[in-house]
Amino acid sequence: MAFVELKDVVKRYGNKLSVDHLDLTIQEGEIFGLLGPNGAGKSTTIHMITGLLKMDQGDIKVDRISVKNDSLEVKKRIGLVPQDLALYETMSAAENVAFFGKLYGLRGELLRNRVSEALEFVGLQDRAKDKPETFSGGMKRRLNIACAIMHRPKLIIMDEPTVGIDPQSRNHILESVRTLNKMGSTIIYTSHYMEEVAALSDRVAILDQGHVIASGTQQELRERASQDEKIIIKASHISDQVIQELRLHPRITSITADNESIELSVPSSQVDLQDILFICAKHQVVIHSLVCEEPNLETLFLSLTGRTLRD
Amino acid sequence: MNNIWTIARFELLRLIRIRSVLLNLFLLPLILIFILGAALSGVWESSTPKDTAIKTIKVGIVYESAEKGAVTSGLGTFLQSAEIKKLILPETAESRESAETEMRSGKIDYAVVIPADFDTNVAQGKGASWDLIRGKDSSKNLVAETVFDSFLDETNYRQAASVVMGPNAAVAAMSQGAQQHESFVDTGKLSNQGTSYSASQYYAASMLIMFLLYSGMTASSSLYLEKENNTLSRLQAMPISSFQIFAGKIVGLSIVAFAQVIVIITFTHFLYGVNWGNNPLLLGVICVLLVIASMTLAVMITLSVKSRTAANSIMQIVTIAMTFISGGFSPLPEGIFQNMGQISVNYWGMQGMLRMMLHEDVSQIMQTILMLGGICVLFIGAATFTYRKVGGYRA
Repeated sequence: MAFVELKDVVKRYGNKLSVDHLDLTIQEGEIFGLLGPNGAGKSTTIHMITGLLKMDQGDIKVDRISVKNDSLEVKKRIGLVPQDLALYETMSAAENVAFFGKLYGLRGELLRNRVSEALEFVGLQDRAKDKPETFSGGMKRRLNIACAIMHRPKLIIMDEPTVGIDPQSRNHILESVRTLNKMGSTIIYTSHYMEEVAALSDRVAILDQGHVIASGTQQELRERASQDEKIIIKASHISDQVIQELRLHPRITSITADNESIELSVPSSQVDLQDILFICAKHQVVIHSLVCEEPNLETLFLSLTGRTLRD
Repeated sequence: MNNIWTIARFELLRLIRIRSVLLNLFLLPLILIFILGAALSGVWESSTPKDTAIKTIKVGIVYESAEKGAVTSGLGTFLQSAEIKKLILPETAESRESAETEMRSGKIDYAVVIPADFDTNVAQGKGASWDLIRGKDSSKNLVAETVFDSFLDETNYRQAASVVMGPNAAVAAMSQGAQQHESFVDTGKLSNQGTSYSASQYYAASMLIMFLLYSGMTASSSLYLEKENNTLSRLQAMPISSFQIFAGKIVGLSIVAFAQVIVIITFTHFLYGVNWGNNPLLLGVICVLLVIASMTLAVMITLSVKSRTAANSIMQIVTIAMTFISGGFSPLPEGIFQNMGQISVNYWGMQGMLRMMLHEDVSQIMQTILMLGGICVLFIGAATFTYRKVGGYRA
C-alpha cells in the first residue's frame, strides 16, 4: 500500500526549477532510498513532504492525508532527521529529546519512558545527562536521530544522516535504520553515498536536476543499466602481445592498458575470467591483484547522466 | 497553548543555563547603576535638588563686650527658642582667636563675633553688623548664615521702625518678634508629596529601562540562533504552527525580562537604597509596557534584516540612542535633544518611574503610562504588519 505519494510536484526558487514535475510512490514499511548528487532536489523534496516548504504545483499525500490540506496531521506521522544537526547544545541529551517529545504531545511517565527508550536505541543512555557540546560528531548524529523517533513515527525521513562521522557511528546509524524499519516504520533515506543507499534500501529513486531519472529495486536498476562488468588487473610484464590477444577475445567489449594495469569490460566476469587469466599466464604476465566490479548505482548514474554522484 | 508554554519554559531554561546571558542581563545593570550612581553623584548634586536632613550646627558666639544690650539679649532669647534650637546649638567663646581654634579642632562648626559697639550702634540708629566666621561644611555655613542674617535683617528692620515710629514702638515690635521666633531654614522638597530622587534612583530607572530594551536584543539573538542552529527547521517539521514557535519564544524571553526587572528593582533597593516609590502596581504596568515595547521592537528588527549581526547592531544603536536622547546617561539641557527624547520609549518610562519616586499623583503617572501605552500599540501594530509581510517566522 502506498504510504507516501508525490504527484506532479514542482518547486521553483526564482527561475530555477528545483523539483521538476516529480512523481514518486513509497510503499508502507519499506526503506526507500533517495539518491542523487548535491543539488539534485533531494532535500527540497523532503522539505515539501514534511511541510517545511510549500510546493508550487502538485500534491503530496502521507498516509492518505494531503500535506496541502492538513500539514499538522501529516507532521504527527513524521519524524525528521535533518541533514544538519538540530540540537540545543547547552541542554542535556535527555532534555533535548524530552523537549521535542513534548511538542509531539507526550507527557509525564510516557514521555520519560520514550526519552529513555530513544536514548537507549541510539546508544546514548549513559550520556543522557551530558550536553551535546561534549559529544563527538557521531554521538551528536545519534542524538539527532533520537530526537526524531521518540514519538514512534510511522514515517521516518533521514536526510543524509551520516555526513561527516566515523565508521563506527555510521554502522550504528545504518543498523538503527534497519531496526526502526523492522519495528514498522516506513523510511525515506537520502544520501549521496551510493554504498549506504545500496546497503539499506528496498527500493531506490535516483534524482537528478529535480526529477527521477531511474527508480525501482536495486536488481531492476542493475538490469536497466544492462552494463558490462569491469575487471581491473594490476600486473607487471604487460606486453603488446597479451593486449593484442585479449582484444581478439569475442566477449571482451573494451580494453585499456598501461605498464601496470589492464582494465577490461565483459558481460559476465564469472564466465570470462578463466579465459582472461589463461591468456595472461600464457604471456607470462605477473598478476599482483585482480578486482571484478559489478555494475552499481554509481555506474548507473554515470551511464544515465555522464557524471558521478559526487560531482 | 500547551506548545507555546512548552517552548517558553524551554527557552527560559536554556537562557538560564548560559552564564554570559545571566551576567549581561542581571549583573551588568547592577554594576552600571552602582558605577553611574557613585561616579556621577557629584555632578548630579550640582544640578539636582537633594533631600538632606539638616543637622544641628554648633555655633561659637563671641561677645566682645561683657555687657549685653537689648539686641544681644534678644539674640540670646532668639537662639533659645524651640525652632532655632533644632538648628543652632550656641556656645559662648571667649575671643575670636579661641573661636577660630575651636573651629579648626572641629568643636564648633561656625562662629559669630558680636562687636563691642553692636548694641550702641543699634541704639543710636546706626547700621548693625557682626562678623561671621565660616566653617568647613558649606551646608552648615549656609544654614547658620541664613539664621543669623535673618535675625540681623529683623533687627535692622526694627531699627528702621524705631527711627520712623519712635523707640516705644520699636521695643514693642522687638518683644513681639521675640515670641514669634520661627525657623528660617527648612528642608527643600521637590514634589507636592515631598520627595526628591538621588543619582542612584535616576540611574536605577534609566539602566532598568535600557537593559529591558537590551532584553529585546537577547530576543533577537535567540530568534536568529534558532535558525542558525537548524532547530527552527526541526520545530517547523513538528505538528505546531510557526506562530506557536514564535509566540513561545517571545513569551519565554519576556519572562526572562520580567525576572530582570525583579532582580534589578530588588537588588537596587536593598544594595543601593533605591526607593522605587510607593506604587508597585503602576511600576509593574510600566515594566510590562517596556517589555512589550522591547519585544515588539526586536520582532520588527529581527524579521526585517537578514543576519543576527545586523539585527544586534540595529538593536544596540536604537537602544543607546533612545537612552541618550531621553537623558538616560545624563540629564540633558532643555532644547532639541530633550524634545527629541519625547519620542523615545525610555523617556516616558523614565518619567513614569521618576514621578513614582517623587510620590506624585496617580493622575500624573497615568499620563506617562498612557503615552507609553500608545507607543506600545504602535509597535504592536508595526510588528504584526512586519510578521505578516515577511510571511512569519521561518527557517
